[in-house]
Amino acid sequence: MAEAVSFWVFAVLALGSALAVVAMRNIVHAALMLVLNLLAIAGLYLTLQATFISIVQVLVYAGAIMVLFLFVVMLLGVDRDDTLTTAPRLTAVAVAGAALLAVALLAAFVGPYTSPASVCGADTEVAASSDAVRCIGLDEVYGEDGQGGVVLLGEQLFGRYTFPFELAALLLTVATIGAVILARRRDLDPEDLDPEDLDGSEPPPGAAGLGSTSSDALDLDPGTAAADTELVLDTAADDERED
Amino acid sequence: MAIGYYYALSALLFTIGLAGVLVRRNALVLFMCVELMLNAVNLTLVAASRMWAGPDGHVFVFFVIVVAASEVVVGLAILVNLFFRRGTLDVDVPQLLRY
Repeated sequence: MAEAVSFWVFAVLALGSALAVVAMRNIVHAALMLVLNLLAIAGLYLTLQATFISIVQVLVYAGAIMVLFLFVVMLLGVDRDDTLTTAPRLTAVAVAGAALLAVALLAAFVGPYTSPASVCGADTEVAASSDAVRCIGLDEVYGEDGQGGVVLLGEQLFGRYTFPFELAALLLTVATIGAVILARRRDLDPEDLDPEDLDGSEPPPGAAGLGSTSSDALDLDPGTAAADTELVLDTAADDERED
Repeated sequence: MAIGYYYALSALLFTIGLAGVLVRRNALVLFMCVELMLNAVNLTLVAASRMWAGPDGHVFVFFVIVVAASEVVVGLAILVNLFFRRGTLDVDVPQLLRY
């Protein structure tokens, strides 16, 4: 009974906030709705006896990833172009396709699993007698102390899934290095520059294109003699923007 | 609760995320909708893990969260770069690979 109540509460929360993420015009509001959605899913994980995953969800998703999202939203100040939508006809087609997919998913996956036999734990007699899919539940696997979730996950991670675990570590390293390289700015926007900063002082190394508003200025700057491909890309982008 | 209700919920969440990816043109909202879809799949994995009483679903969710974090980090860095070069987050504007 308690499981049903918490399921319906969190399910309504998750569905409503997911719809709000898609529908809201203000990006900050959409991001906050996404936080609500992630927290509701964390609650569903708790309902599903996945305590550790629920905590990871709150920490990593609702904490770290959403803070990153909000940082980018604030950094870019993007509330001026948050009215971007597709044409109404395309929207209708997209929504119709998504609804079709929803119906197909519900028909294909949900049907056999909504019988009383797939209820975990509660109704063992029905489960034993029926030949429908039977739910086992995690109680026995976790053991008496309730610490089994973390222990079980750790044993799996460092036993059977050691190689994927190491790959995940490598992936995180690559992502961190890639983000640092991508986020480094070589040319600032001309609007952001204070002209008096550029007069007396030399531009710092690594910011060779600093303050150049056109590709001509880039060419005259001796610091760009060793122009690498990225600077060439910058120049091309500048040219394209000036068109 | 029968497991099917969790499957139904995650199917609906996945579809909402998919509709968002199709409808919205703001790249940041697009990323958020991808997160919605990833979370829907995670919910399926956790529910199935409980149904079959095995830890494998939890391990998969763990890895999906790791991959999603990496994807968001790199994707947002690309978005920041795109915004500084083009001045917009409209996903229809960048067409560098078109021709």
